[in-house]
Amino acid sequence: MLSDITISRIIEAAMGTTADFAEVFEEEKKASNVGLLNKRTIRAASGIHYGVGIRLMSGTNVVYVYTSDKSEEALIKLAKEAASAIKGGKAADIKQVEALSKSSPSILEIDPLTVSKKDNISFLKEASEYAMSYNELITQVAASYVTSNRVIHVVNSEGINKEESQTRIRLSIETVATKGTEKQTGRVAPGTMRGYEFVNEYPVIEKTRECCDTAIRMVNAGYAPSGKMPVIIGNGFGGVIFHEACGHALESTAVGIKSSCFTDKLGKQIASSIVSARDNARIEGEWGSYMTDDTGRESSDLLLIENGICRNYLVDDLGARRMGCEPTGCGRRQDFTYAPTSRMSNTYIDNGKDDPKDIIADTEYGLYCTKMGGGSVDTATGEFNFAAEEAFMIRNGKIAEPVRGATLIGKGQEILMNIDRVGNDLELAAGMCGSISGGVPVTVGQPTIRVSSILVGGREA
Amino acid sequence: MDRTFAEKYIKDLVEKAIEYGFEDAEACFMSNSSMEINILKGEVSSYENSTMQGVGFRGKKNGQMGGSFTSDLNDDAMDFMLKNAMENCEVLDDEDEEFIYCDPDNSHLESIQLSGSYDKNTYDKFSQIGLKLEKDILALSDDIKAVDYLSISCGTGPSTSVNSKGLYTYKDSDMITILAEARAEKDGVVKTGSYYWFGRDIDDFDEEKFLKTLKKRVLNKLGASSVKSGEYKIIFSNEAFVSLFDTFIGNFSSYSMQKGLSLLADKEGEVIASDLFTIREEPMYEKALIKFPFDSEGVLTKSKALIDKGVFVKAFYNLKTAHKAGTESTGNGFKGAFSAPVGISATNLIVEPGQKDFDELCDWVGEGIYITDLNGLHAGVNKISGDFSLFCEGYLIKDGKITRPVEQITVADNFYEVLKKIIATGSDIISVPEGKGEYFCPSVVISKMNISGDVNEGET
Repeated sequence: MLSDITISRIIEAAMGTTADFAEVFEEEKKASNVGLLNKRTIRAASGIHYGVGIRLMSGTNVVYVYTSDKSEEALIKLAKEAASAIKGGKAADIKQVEALSKSSPSILEIDPLTVSKKDNISFLKEASEYAMSYNELITQVAASYVTSNRVIHVVNSEGINKEESQTRIRLSIETVATKGTEKQTGRVAPGTMRGYEFVNEYPVIEKTRECCDTAIRMVNAGYAPSGKMPVIIGNGFGGVIFHEACGHALESTAVGIKSSCFTDKLGKQIASSIVSARDNARIEGEWGSYMTDDTGRESSDLLLIENGICRNYLVDDLGARRMGCEPTGCGRRQDFTYAPTSRMSNTYIDNGKDDPKDIIADTEYGLYCTKMGGGSVDTATGEFNFAAEEAFMIRNGKIAEPVRGATLIGKGQEILMNIDRVGNDLELAAGMCGSISGGVPVTVGQPTIRVSSILVGGREA
Repeated sequence: MDRTFAEKYIKDLVEKAIEYGFEDAEACFMSNSSMEINILKGEVSSYENSTMQGVGFRGKKNGQMGGSFTSDLNDDAMDFMLKNAMENCEVLDDEDEEFIYCDPDNSHLESIQLSGSYDKNTYDKFSQIGLKLEKDILALSDDIKAVDYLSISCGTGPSTSVNSKGLYTYKDSDMITILAEARAEKDGVVKTGSYYWFGRDIDDFDEEKFLKTLKKRVLNKLGASSVKSGEYKIIFSNEAFVSLFDTFIGNFSSYSMQKGLSLLADKEGEVIASDLFTIREEPMYEKALIKFPFDSEGVLTKSKALIDKGVFVKAFYNLKTAHKAGTESTGNGFKGAFSAPVGISATNLIVEPGQKDFDELCDWVGEGIYITDLNGLHAGVNKISGDFSLFCEGYLIKDGKITRPVEQITVADNFYEVLKKIIATGSDIISVPEGKGEYFCPSVVISKMNISGDVNEGET
């Protein structure tokens, strides 16, 4: 990593005569992955990503430069170029750099980067072999393991001097069921910031069977109906609906420039009164966690919605300047090639009071989405769409036939108000979130919920 | 890092790899330099200037190809890459062989597509254009309340590779992109619309033309409502059709076909689309901004039909999949980044245009829906089966004319069925950047598709 003296020189060069803030972000990420397809190991790679980003601000004017060349000469030259591009007022004083403080949200008994690729592969082979012999409808199975250790060092002109180490593991098992020309998939993709013990404890056979069962059920299913209807969304990854339709619109990236549908809603009702939601970056070992954000600020456990009332936005340091408030420690970026912006971490709708069984029993007709796929949202209009990976019809309070090809569409602000039941079975699930500062690991989550009416796009009238 | 240093570094790495025990080896150096400004509320809100570079290595041992990479080119990096790539070879058991290749007649490949106008791409020039553009967008209408996103960026990306078979490649190109998203509001309803421009010379940017299109894309959406669920004739806009086709382009890859992940396996030579549909890959297409004379494996690219009058002619192959299929590489073996393995990608794709312009298509369709935006393509599709159910926006066509905007609808169908239901392509071909290159595509008419809307019987 860069020496203290080099970093101080870069900050001095970057501040120039006009910036009121300068930051050096140094990152080193070691990564290793293996991938199997139909029991064969077809991919194995390892590498190191390294780079330095320099960010300057003057008011809300931002300049960001980065390089993977770590020579002091190159970095100072880049810092000076950045300084010449910043517009604004007077340079602020550079504060004395604090003593380095280190943090990590990872809980490691066994460091995954010390585990041999042969061991990673034997785990994945177990899943592959089980799936391929499970049922003749299962024709393909892809399994992969990715691990990385990311160390970031952030120093800024306000004296912050923080280092954070993040070790992550992501597993993926995807099975394909084939029937004639029809192919459907089942997938699990858990992610963790625990050590390799997570892999050792993972119920691989049980989860592979679930994948196979989903794929087989969906390949045998008919198409989902279309039209407006009550929709029950299962726990865990079902929380992607809140993440996309509401979480993004609560980020200062959108609120700070007043482009969000939730602008100026603090203290106002934006959801049904049975909905409370949080963004908690401080859950140790959880996939989307961090103790120190990518701007060197301490992360937080943030109450976003309390009984339907909007309580907080996700605010990064630029957002704080725009909105005249304090940052909440949510400045994140994929890597040094992106300037940080306000991002989510572990975001979930909190537990309610209902037993999920009662929610189903009380629904005469509707759609039950047990596994959600991804989705996207326009934060200005609130319009979103999500795909259900596994869904069933509900008839007379009972789970009926499986259906495929269902898409949920609507407006986030309306859906939030239309949540009429919240279960007590909160679960979190790992995902990747893409936005203007790149792809970052997040978890989404919720208990089972019911939305009184959503437009379902299916193929049957 | 200068070119001489980079070339020496990867040459040394390949030599060391052979000494280390690899049977064959290849190394590439890739670099990306870019500059971007963002405009917000009358100010240059951000400026980025950057260089990202790294070295990717692949070495072959006992028939297996191990990979490694680094962007930290310190003294230990070579040893790190060789050791890790060797370990990776030891754990692989891929039954399909990957190759390191050099055609003796084409062992030195260079492609330099740099404009002479790159020096114009300065902070001052971009700021001046960006600030004026923002002001002019806001002046288009009182209903346009903000320009939420406006960026101007340029980049160059030199890359070079060498291998133990004697191949040397070098390529570089440059590009400028302008992207703007405006937000309109009327009677409490918010709509957004965006538009882009890309080119080589910033002086080629035609602001007037840009504003005209952006204005339509934002303001014409105001006053939108849903439609009744049912079957409709559909005109896909050029961009909507490209986004749909490109979502499923992976199914035309021989890799997906060989791994049983594409329903097009064993369909080469068969009819898979309407006989009115032809799409060709032209890597060196004259009108394309970036041309691709060779791929990342050192294979020369060639122009070819992907679908010719409905017949699936030939899939995209790299050396590995071609060897397995007993055919030749089609020159589609590309690496997306220095850290990535060689995959399969298409370059510039051209959909053959028809005779009717857009107004004639509407007139011919009579009643239907013109789809301009398809959302959720990364989620609402089953890439293998081709099924999709997507949130979309567009316009209602009545009596052969565009009547009103539509929203809150989904379109659901199957990609392979849609190809068969193409009943016309327009003459209104435009370039749409997507994937590695560009699509040149007209509006495309589909005989019928299922639309889910939110309007009850009796309403319109």
